Amino acid sequence: MHDHQLADWRAQALKLESEVNKVVVGQENPVRLITIAVFARGHVLLEGDVGVGKTTLLRAFTRGIGGGYQRIEGTIDLMPNDLVYHTYLGEDGKPHVSPGPLLMSGQDLSIFFFNEINRARPQVHSLMLRVMAERTLTAFNKEHYFPHMLVFADRNQVEKEETFDIPSAARDRFMMEIPIVVPPAHDIMESLIFDTRFHDVDQLITNVEADVLKFDQLNSFAKVIQENISASPALRQYALNLWLATKDPTAYGVKVSNVDMKRLVLSGASPRGMGMLLRAARVNAWLHERDAVVPEDIHAVLHETIAHRLVFSPVYEMRRTEIAREMLSGIVNAVAAP
Amino acid sequence: MKAPKLLFTCLLMAALSATTLPAMADVTLPSVDSKYVSVQEINPTRDAGYVVGDKLERTIILTVKKPYELIQESLPIVGYEHRYRGQVSGIELADIQVAEESFSDRSVHTIHLVYQVFKSGRVAKPAILRGEVVKLRHLGKTEVCELRIPSFNFRTSPLSVYGEVNLKNEMSPLIPPFKLDTRNEQQVFKVAAGFLSLSLLGLLYILGARTWLPRMGGAFAKAYRKLGKLPDNEAGLQQAIHLVHNAIQQVAGHSVFANSVAQFVQEKPAYLAAQPEIERFFQLSRQVFFDAKTPLALGMPAKQWLRTFCRHMRDCERGLTPDLERASKSGVK
Repeated sequence: MHDHQLADWRAQALKLESEVNKVVVGQENPVRLITIAVFARGHVLLEGDVGVGKTTLLRAFTRGIGGGYQRIEGTIDLMPNDLVYHTYLGEDGKPHVSPGPLLMSGQDLSIFFFNEINRARPQVHSLMLRVMAERTLTAFNKEHYFPHMLVFADRNQVEKEETFDIPSAARDRFMMEIPIVVPPAHDIMESLIFDTRFHDVDQLITNVEADVLKFDQLNSFAKVIQENISASPALRQYALNLWLATKDPTAYGVKVSNVDMKRLVLSGASPRGMGMLLRAARVNAWLHERDAVVPEDIHAVLHETIAHRLVFSPVYEMRRTEIAREMLSGIVNAVAAP
Repeated sequence: MKAPKLLFTCLLMAALSATTLPAMADVTLPSVDSKYVSVQEINPTRDAGYVVGDKLERTIILTVKKPYELIQESLPIVGYEHRYRGQVSGIELADIQVAEESFSDRSVHTIHLVYQVFKSGRVAKPAILRGEVVKLRHLGKTEVCELRIPSFNFRTSPLSVYGEVNLKNEMSPLIPPFKLDTRNEQQVFKVAAGFLSLSLLGLLYILGARTWLPRMGGAFAKAYRKLGKLPDNEAGLQQAIHLVHNAIQQVAGHSVFANSVAQFVQEKPAYLAAQPEIERFFQLSRQVFFDAKTPLALGMPAKQWLRTFCRHMRDCERGLTPDLERASKSGVK
């Protein structure tokens, strides 16, 4: 029974990828990672310059998954209640309250996109983190549930003025941090400039077949994946070694250029982070038609699930992306499996 | 009383005859006139280098003209050994053959003598085949003459026994070197020793796991040696795969996974020929350690395949080209 279910859903997942790749060109790897996050039910932090297609990517996924899509822009004056409701004066001259982005779609909210989350105040972060963790919100004396919601947040790493860095505890709530970069292939770049179909996003999104997946069944199916994709003792040992290596890379002989390794890591991956790593690895194994996780499944999601969780000495925070990538590559090279 | 006297007389005569007969034998007889005899000698071709046990053969052709004739009884007998001042000479007559031809005016005696040397020493010493004295009888008379056959001089050499000769004490310019020509044997020995050395080196090169020869003691050579000692069960197979993983990691300098085999052979082109086998190895590893459902057809027991694979990797490690075709054929069998 489960075998058929797994195969059917796999076909649908690959079709979703294919549909999204039709409208977002040159982003096959981010598309695969978002697919994994969708089926692992993990929130995603997107990292990338402005105008690289993050919104288009998420809208395309939302159309394919189905359900509601909401978006909010992070600004320095954004308050937590701005996510929950709007107040305005109506045509009748009386104050009115309408649901904010979080409540607007109700329980059908499928994807919530928080653009430039690091421009919002920590109070807003706090609310979002609770919603992400519990998928509930208390407002108007009522408990609101978002059982199918996935949060995609984007942070602007270029500008540092008027921004509030997301603390490590907040970053740890995100399953992945996925870099979105401009495709390096010149033909794709040229196509993005001159192909007019990319200029009208609304029209472009309609090219994605709607409701390829059933968003309200994703939670239950994600459980099926996690229960049916096994992890052998050797794989468990390998994951454990990887975890230990993130905590003490010098013990495994990991080196990063121009970095004092003894001072670099303040905290390695968290237990939650490692759990998310294995959830994502299981989904990757499932997408590759395997019944068991292999080391390559872990590698496929290691950088994206672990890098943003590492806590470095402040002196190295400015080079975080570069150092984290080099350190994790070093760990993969140093830790043997089996 | 007459009987005791007679007995005493007999005993006295016997005693006297016992003492006087040898004296009679030592009586010097006149030499025969040389016109009645002629002697021809056929002596040994060399006169030195005889050691104890050697035999010297000598032929004397004695022609005796009438009225003389040779007294056969005067010829030396086998076992006869000359003495000089009571000391034996160490040259003993080992054999004697006599042939006689009679003519109307003479008789020709061909005497073939074989002497054996029974003396040895620490230095080369002179020795002699003494001239045998034979007796001739004048026919019709009681006159007996003697004829001394010429002697033959030669030298005996020492027969050294290991441990009995101290060269420092025995070295003497008078001792001739006693050497055999061993050049051929030495040459054969050198060739054989060289061949043996090369064979041993080759054997060490193939089976060795030490680092004192170039390209020996590599990671795969060590792994290959250890593979054979592992038990033939599931745990042994896992250990074997572990060993090969470690060897690959050692060669690469970092961990290698199934999806980085291409990168590995790019970094280490010596292993390019074995790339398909390396990929199969990772499939085997995946099947054993991570996913038992991984499809894999090795064509032989996993442990046996692993040893073959490790040997091929060792060949690559040594700069050789592994015989993959033959291995795959044997695998099919």
